Amino acid sequence: MRTMFVWMAGCLIGLASLPAAIASGWNMPVGVTEISREIYSLHMIIFWICVAIGVVVFGVMFYSLFKFRHSRGAKSANFHENTTVEVIWTAVPLLILVGMAVPATATLKKMYDTSDAELDVMIVGQQFRWRYEYLGEDVAFTSSMSTPMAQVRGEEEKGEHYLLEVDNPLVLPINRKVRFLMTSDDVIHSWWVPDFAVKQDTIPGFINENWTRIDEPGIYRGQCAELCGMNHGFMPIVVHAMEEDDFDAWLVERREEAEQEAMGVDRDWEMDELMERGEGVYASVCASCHQDVGQGSPPVFPALAGNQQLLDDPAWHLDVIINGVSGAAMPAFRSTLNPVEIAAVTTWTRNAWGNDTGDVVQPAEVAEELAQ
Amino acid sequence: MWGVIKSVLAAFFGVQKEQRRREDFEQGKPLAFIVVGLVMGLLFVVGVAAVAITVAR
Repeated sequence: MRTMFVWMAGCLIGLASLPAAIASGWNMPVGVTEISREIYSLHMIIFWICVAIGVVVFGVMFYSLFKFRHSRGAKSANFHENTTVEVIWTAVPLLILVGMAVPATATLKKMYDTSDAELDVMIVGQQFRWRYEYLGEDVAFTSSMSTPMAQVRGEEEKGEHYLLEVDNPLVLPINRKVRFLMTSDDVIHSWWVPDFAVKQDTIPGFINENWTRIDEPGIYRGQCAELCGMNHGFMPIVVHAMEEDDFDAWLVERREEAEQEAMGVDRDWEMDELMERGEGVYASVCASCHQDVGQGSPPVFPALAGNQQLLDDPAWHLDVIINGVSGAAMPAFRSTLNPVEIAAVTTWTRNAWGNDTGDVVQPAEVAEELAQ
Repeated sequence: MWGVIKSVLAAFFGVQKEQRRREDFEQGKPLAFIVVGLVMGLLFVVGVAAVAITVAR
């Protein structure tokens, strides 16, 4: 009897603390889009339906256990069937399920409606970064994690946005419907930003569609949600949602930068310029596999510092960066990096960490190589 | 015939009276249940598809 009350009190306290648990961040986020709010309220409705069912079912069970217990001389009834009761307990769950399916279907339909988008962004997953392309706008860039590996290894204090920060965030306007076209260069990744309630697999050879319409400016963070290899945990997503005017200005600025970069291909670059640029490209694109000082992590990711083949054969070195190594982890960077970036990172890796070849690779040479 | 349909419906729902079950097993012909079951199964599939198509439109 006493145990019974302790259990019941425990259950009541548990139930009473639910709202607190929901408010404390244990629950899914409400998010900043119409869809994310609808998904959140669906989640809460279904949650409370489950709570109600649980209370009724366990209430009846515990009441029966208590009221008709053996010590009070209860005798079990012995009958084979009761069609009415069976019909009721079959029909009630059926109605509950249909009742839940109706609003869920309405939301699903909205989620799949990618028509009438004002901006198209192509999202390409790569081991281990994201590439964003603003279709028809001549703006494209790669977004890599910017958390230093020293923090990962515990040699430095972890920052506020540890593993959730990137060098080039995806920039989107608020109040505009943005369509995402998602695919992958290598294996299946998944682009997931909880605040938008967007979570979509990116699959090589397929283009998946999704969309969002953000209500509030801000910085929203997400992660790759499909185990994609060694650095799956190191390819976060950061979205910078801006006011529409700010976004338009940003887009123009990026387009001008890209034009200037394209003009820079033809001129002769100084070694110092290329080295400076190359160091940045290396940190953003190469270091996650080949490590900070080119030591690699053999046998999968070979060392670059002191790599004899690299030192002896500049043409092979450039070819590996442009076309990748088939059957190995090295991806092709032909479409990910521009000629200036490829030239810079090649120059950097040929001259950093004791690789003192003195070789300078000009962007124009790379452009020639790319044109073939 | 009506009796067979009612029994197949009961089977779809998952609840049947013991008395009717006994009658079916004593008097019913297996072939009738199989044919009616297949036809109604098909109708059910077509019905679900129709609902899905209407809703998705």
